[in-house]
Amino acid sequence: MGLYDKVFPPRAMKLASGAVVEEKRSRAPLILLLLVLACALSVKVTGFRFATLVSRGKEFFVILRQMFPPNMGYLPKIWKPLWDTIKMSLLGSFAGSVLAVPFAILAASNMISSKVVVQLARLFLSLVRTLPTLVSALIATYIFGLGTMAGTFAIGVFTFAYVGKQLFEQIETVDMGPFEAMEAMGAGKTRAFLSAVLPQVLPAYLSVCLFCLEGNVRYASILGYVGAGGLGLILNEKIGWREYDSVGMILLVLFGAVLVIELVSHAIRKRLT
Amino acid sequence: MIRFENVSKVYPNGVVGLDGVDLEIGQGEFVAIIGLSGAGKSTLLRSINKMHDITAGSLTVNGCDVHTLRGKGLRKFRRGIGMIFQSFNLVTRTTVIQNVLTARVPELPLWRVVLGAFPKCDKLLALESLEQVGILDKAYIRADQLSGGQQQRVALARTLAQKPQIILADEPVAALDPVTARQVMEDFVKINREMGITILLNIHHVELALTYASRIIGIRAGKIVYDGPSGEVDQGVLDSIYGGNVPAEAEG
Repeated sequence: MGLYDKVFPPRAMKLASGAVVEEKRSRAPLILLLLVLACALSVKVTGFRFATLVSRGKEFFVILRQMFPPNMGYLPKIWKPLWDTIKMSLLGSFAGSVLAVPFAILAASNMISSKVVVQLARLFLSLVRTLPTLVSALIATYIFGLGTMAGTFAIGVFTFAYVGKQLFEQIETVDMGPFEAMEAMGAGKTRAFLSAVLPQVLPAYLSVCLFCLEGNVRYASILGYVGAGGLGLILNEKIGWREYDSVGMILLVLFGAVLVIELVSHAIRKRLT
Repeated sequence: MIRFENVSKVYPNGVVGLDGVDLEIGQGEFVAIIGLSGAGKSTLLRSINKMHDITAGSLTVNGCDVHTLRGKGLRKFRRGIGMIFQSFNLVTRTTVIQNVLTARVPELPLWRVVLGAFPKCDKLLALESLEQVGILDKAYIRADQLSGGQQQRVALARTLAQKPQIILADEPVAALDPVTARQVMEDFVKINREMGITILLNIHHVELALTYASRIIGIRAGKIVYDGPSGEVDQGVLDSIYGGNVPAEAEG
């Protein structure tokens, strides 16, 4: 009996037969109270002021108004960076997703019996995941130089960590019956995985990869800020020059590209599950 | 020929699975193992293909010492022994024929397994196996579309595609309704008679065991308490296996 039950004693439910069942009090009010306290604390710590939001908020619309009408004349110069952005996200997502597979297997406790290997693989995946994409892109520009190569690398690293974690969790929830059957038939672990586990996780894996690609197109568009190529490069430049009508055009094109990719990816993912 | 000589199995947590088992099962026999849950039926069955390893004694299958088998040798040995499970253990999101074809996976080069490129002769073998259990028409249907009885037949076809000499069945009909259970038991009888495959199964339904198996092994607390023809099993034998308190319920 926990502390909570001592403060708020369980309610006794008495049946007609005389049997008594104790119903514990809900924990929800306590959790709600803690959440409200945490919110209040975070407002205090971050110095968030609602008054500022009201008084300066309209400045946001000033910039937004300057973006319209978008500068159509700038459009021809956007295609190449946009294509770079899409190339970076496609290639990075693909490479990251493929590389994630062996590490996801190593991190799945139902595939690898050594706890040390599983924990190391998981630690590695979490370490890579904590690395912000902008930081890995920045580091990559030092290694590969400015341009799309660095962006592709950064996207690949992020995808690797994200897909790796999702996949190993998928692998851990599969029905191990078919795997057992494969082993009983004399298949080694690799063949048993390919025949019994892969068909179970493949739809979810592809779905996660596509979902990641959707997000990556958006990520890739800001990587230009650190010199990793793509739309971010000209976005940064035009904001710097305060050419908001050109910024508006870039955002419009990006919006269109993201929308198309999300629609396609969503349609495919719907069929996968 | 499966031969147990003074075989014992103690689990790492101290639970005794088998306790001094002596047993001989000849090629082509149809044996049912009965006993309470936890008596060691499953341990006995699974020690034969080393899904569970024994801790003492000697266990040989066709002269091959099972306990010493490892790695490649063990996998090769297992290819000669089929196994049927209570929950069928099919990959339910793929087709029936894909499931049967997995029986050929241990024999194929890895690239074929990765690409799922099975040779035509294997596909024909898989289809013939399905024909033998009477569900050829379901070959290209997803396994999860089938009833429990049909799924167990797919598992049987998968085992047949392995061309085994022995089939071990761990509670093969426990998840099936009484009518389907009988049909699956009849499949086992057919396979046993027509192909001379040794059938060894664990079963809770005493009545089904007595009807279909020719030999009954009763096991209690890891020890064999009865071993003889099914025709000679009477109430006294059942009492000794089930401890005298579960006559009708055990047949449930």
